[in-house]
Order: sequence, then structure tokens, then C-alpha cells
Amino acid sequence: MTTIKNNNNKRRVIEQSSRAILLLCALVSIAAVIAITLYIINQGIPFFSKVSLKEFLFSFNWEPSAKENPSYGIGAFILASFEVVILAIVIALPIGLSTAIFLSEFAKGKLSVVIKNTIELLAGIPSIIYGLFGIAIIVPAVRNTFGGNGYSLLSASIILSIMILPTIINISEVSIKSVPDSLRQASIAMGATKWQTIYKVVIPSAVNGIVASIILALGRAIGETTAVLLVGGNSAVFAKTPIDMGRTLTMNIITDMSYAEGTHLSALFATAMLLFLFILFLNFIVVYISSKSRLGQSE
Amino acid sequence: MKKLFLILLVSMSSFALFAGGESETVKEEVVNYTFGGSSTVAPIAKSVIPEFEKEYPSVEVGYETLGSSTGIKQLLAGTLSLAGSSRDLKQSELDANCVPTVIALDGLSVGVNASVNISNLSLAQLAAIFSGEITNWSEVGGDDIKIELIERDETSGTYGSFNEIVLESQGKEPTKNAIIAKENGEVATKIASTPGSIGYIGMAFNHIITNAGGKILTIDGVEPSSDNVINKTYPISRALYVVTIGEPKDNTVEKDFIDFLLSKKGQAIVAENEFISIN
Repeated sequence: MTTIKNNNNKRRVIEQSSRAILLLCALVSIAAVIAITLYIINQGIPFFSKVSLKEFLFSFNWEPSAKENPSYGIGAFILASFEVVILAIVIALPIGLSTAIFLSEFAKGKLSVVIKNTIELLAGIPSIIYGLFGIAIIVPAVRNTFGGNGYSLLSASIILSIMILPTIINISEVSIKSVPDSLRQASIAMGATKWQTIYKVVIPSAVNGIVASIILALGRAIGETTAVLLVGGNSAVFAKTPIDMGRTLTMNIITDMSYAEGTHLSALFATAMLLFLFILFLNFIVVYISSKSRLGQSE
Repeated sequence: MKKLFLILLVSMSSFALFAGGESETVKEEVVNYTFGGSSTVAPIAKSVIPEFEKEYPSVEVGYETLGSSTGIKQLLAGTLSLAGSSRDLKQSELDANCVPTVIALDGLSVGVNASVNISNLSLAQLAAIFSGEITNWSEVGGDDIKIELIERDETSGTYGSFNEIVLESQGKEPTKNAIIAKENGEVATKIASTPGSIGYIGMAFNHIITNAGGKILTIDGVEPSSDNVINKTYPISRALYVVTIGEPKDNTVEKDFIDFLLSKKGQAIVAENEFISIN
């Protein structure tokens, strides 16, 4: 009897202590998020005692190291960031969505395995490699096709569109696959062709997942640094057209970080704060969409 | 499970030990020194200071980036005991008993893409190109190709040196319409791959431009080389100084600091920061 009781006690201790250890590990990531948030805010907030929020967000004049009247406007960089990621989505969405439909509705056997593994590989390539590929292939291609010197927001968008393909494909594919077969069968039974079934039944049912994939891709694209830095031109001017050079928020942070001091440094942290807010906002949208779609399924 | 727990316990206790050990170190009397001045000297000073403090643990040194002139002014006012300067001293400053010691040389090379049919530019032409006044190679005797500027990031010492030596001396401002590259390697790659491009680089890195397929220009007919910097014939160059009031005296922190700068270790740090070491 006593041995059983001892064993039970021992088991309970192990159960509880392992639970505590696992919880502790889970708390590490929460602590990291809180620490990062506090650090960025702490470094960035003092900036606004020197420069007004309005000038920071809407001025197009970035001259942080000017000896007289330095100015810290990141308006041009905010616009460039949006321009680059939206263009990237416009390029990547048709390709990504088509691939996801192909993989979930048509591809079978070896071909499907090859495509999937290739996409996995695409997701694993470091961004510096994308950047070098961009300098060697995309920049000359843009230069020869559209003119200019090739280092441009368009080049950055093309690189980004390749980088976000895996995100769009993987999440869209999962959400298309999770559309119940009964819907497809019902549609076919009503006399619809396979293609009609896909674009009238399957895609509308999976639309939440597809939107979530776009938002996550946006998040990845807006935070990408190295690859766009190498092909975007990085000049601190407002890009009038996509084939002009420009600088995004991430490029601005990384370019000056190594030696910046004082107000200049805190301007970079303030830029980081803004970027962080964008990412936070995008994540909230994803959480909102996925909670809505879960509710939809349970009804 | 037990193993994991053990590992956790060991790592935690070792961490505690480590942390405890650190707080127990006896604090000696630490004397603070403030140096400051030229922003070009700043990266050298800031990488030398931690090494210097390792060898002289009782000394704490700071370097304030003020600009050469302000640094020397504050040196004369007694706020600083040692100033960094990226320009030669004025006669008035020498008369006030300022003594400059050369700690490094600063020289920049100008490289162009292989498509550019030019091998020499004058300093004035270079200034006009980088201020955006000249935008086509035909204006300086080359083919009809648009000039693409490749600049370094604003906070780099290389950008500062180029603008001070080439543009400010001619009363010109840099144009913003340029590709900004963060590293010497990036400058070299972009010069090599962009038709019509021109960029500058620390002289120690000439080879990475030529290796990548670009060309190094002569300026006012003079080749960029350490020899031509030392004999002062190459125009995009200057000496970097630290300045003291009077000859630095033995057994002072200023003298120790200068000796450290001129030592093998100090000069290695100079080279690491993309300047030319003086020995």
C-alpha cells in the first residue's frame, strides 16, 4: 500500500514540477516581448521631447547629421515602406494563390512533393542571399526594362514578393484544404464544373485564411531589412515612381544605427517604435480574422 | 525529467555564482577623464578607449563628439584635457601652445564602373559631381552616360571625411540623389555592377574595387597611395590628430593614451576603423 502511495506522491511531484518548468519556459517568450517593447519605447520616447510627432511623421526632410537645423522627417520612408509592401503583395498574391489552389486541388504524388519542398527551401533562404541575388539579377533586369539605375523600390518589391510567397502559399493552401469536401461534392452534384466549384465555392469559403496569409505576408515584408537594403538604393529622398530609389523604415534604422548618437539615435528608435506599431496592428488583424472564422465554423 | 531538472539547477546556480562574483569585485578609486573633438577621430577613440581602460583599470575615459574646432576651443578653455582633430591646427592655436600628434592618416579613393571612360578627375570636378551639378560623364570629357552616385551612409566616418575634404572645401553640399551603401564591400559591388557609377572608399580598400571589376581614378593626376598621402600630394587625404596643451608629460593619462594610440594595438584599431595607420 505504502509503495503505491509513495509512487503516487512521486508521480504527482514530477507532474507538477514539469508543469511548472514548462510554464516557466512559456513565460520566457512573454517576458521577451515585454522587455523588447519597453526597451524600444524607453529609447524612442525621449525623441518626441525634441521633435514634434507631426514633423517626424509628415516631414520628408531627413537630415539628422546636418550641423545646423538637423531635421528628422520620416514621411518619405513611411510612404516607401507602404509602396514597397503593397507592390510586393500585388505581385505575389496571384502567383501565391494560384500555387495554393494547384497544390490543394490538383497536384498529386511526386510533383506535389517537389513543389512543396521547393517552397520550404524558398522560406529557408537567408535574406542576404535574396539581396545578392537582387543585385546580380533583379537590379540589372529592372534597369534594362524600365530605365533608371535599377536600384529602386520596384526591385525591392520584386525581391519581397519572392520572399513572401511561402507565407501566402502555405497558409492559403491549409485554409483551402480545410474547406469540407462535402461542399465540393455538393457543388459538383449541382452540375458545377471543377473550376466553377473552386472559384465560387472553395475560395469564398477559404477567404478568411487567404486574407490572414496576406496580412502575415505584409508583416514579413514590412519588417524585412537586409534584402531590400541591398536593392532599394537607400537614398533618403521621396521616390516619385517605383523605379526611383528610396528608403524604407527598416532601411533607415539599419543604415545609421552603427554610429548614430543623441537625438539621431533616438530618432531611429522612434522609427522602430512606428514599425513595431504597424506589426502589432497587423497581428491584431490576423488574430481577429482567425477568431471570427473559428466562430463561423462552430455556428 | 530528472536530468533536465539537474541541468536547469546547475545552470541557474552557475549563473548566480557568476552574477555574485561580479558584484563582489572591489571598486578602486576610478578617475574620470573627458576627451573630445573631431567626429572623424571619434570612431577611433571609441574603439581604443575600452582597450585602453583594460590596461589602465583605474582610469575611465569618455570621448565627446563635438567637431574639431569646438574640441580645440574646449581644450583651450580647460574643459577637455585632450582633443581629437581632423584638420591641421591654425597658427593661433599653435601660438596658444596646442601640440598636435598625428595618430592616423585618412585617405579616400574614388572608383568608377568599368563603363566610365575616364581615368582622372580634378577635385573641383569631383565636388561638382557629388553635389549634383554635373550629372553626365560627357560634361567631364567622358561618354554620354548618366552619372550614378554611390555614397556611404551619413553617420560613417568615410562619408564625413569625403564631404569635408571634397565638398565643404569647395563650398558645396552633397546631393541626396545617390545610392547609399552601408559597407565598403557594398560600395565596391555596386560600383562594379552599375553602369556609369562613381563612388568613394577608404584607401585601404582600393583592391576590393579593382577586384570587383571597377577602376580607381587619379585625382588631380595623383594616384591614391599611402606614400602620396604621407607626402601630401594626394588631395583627398588628411592627417588625424590628438591635441594637447604643451607636450604631453610622462605619467599622465593623456601621455599614456597617446602612447597607446601609437602602439601596435592602437594602430591596429586605426586600421580596423578604415583609416591608414602611420607605421
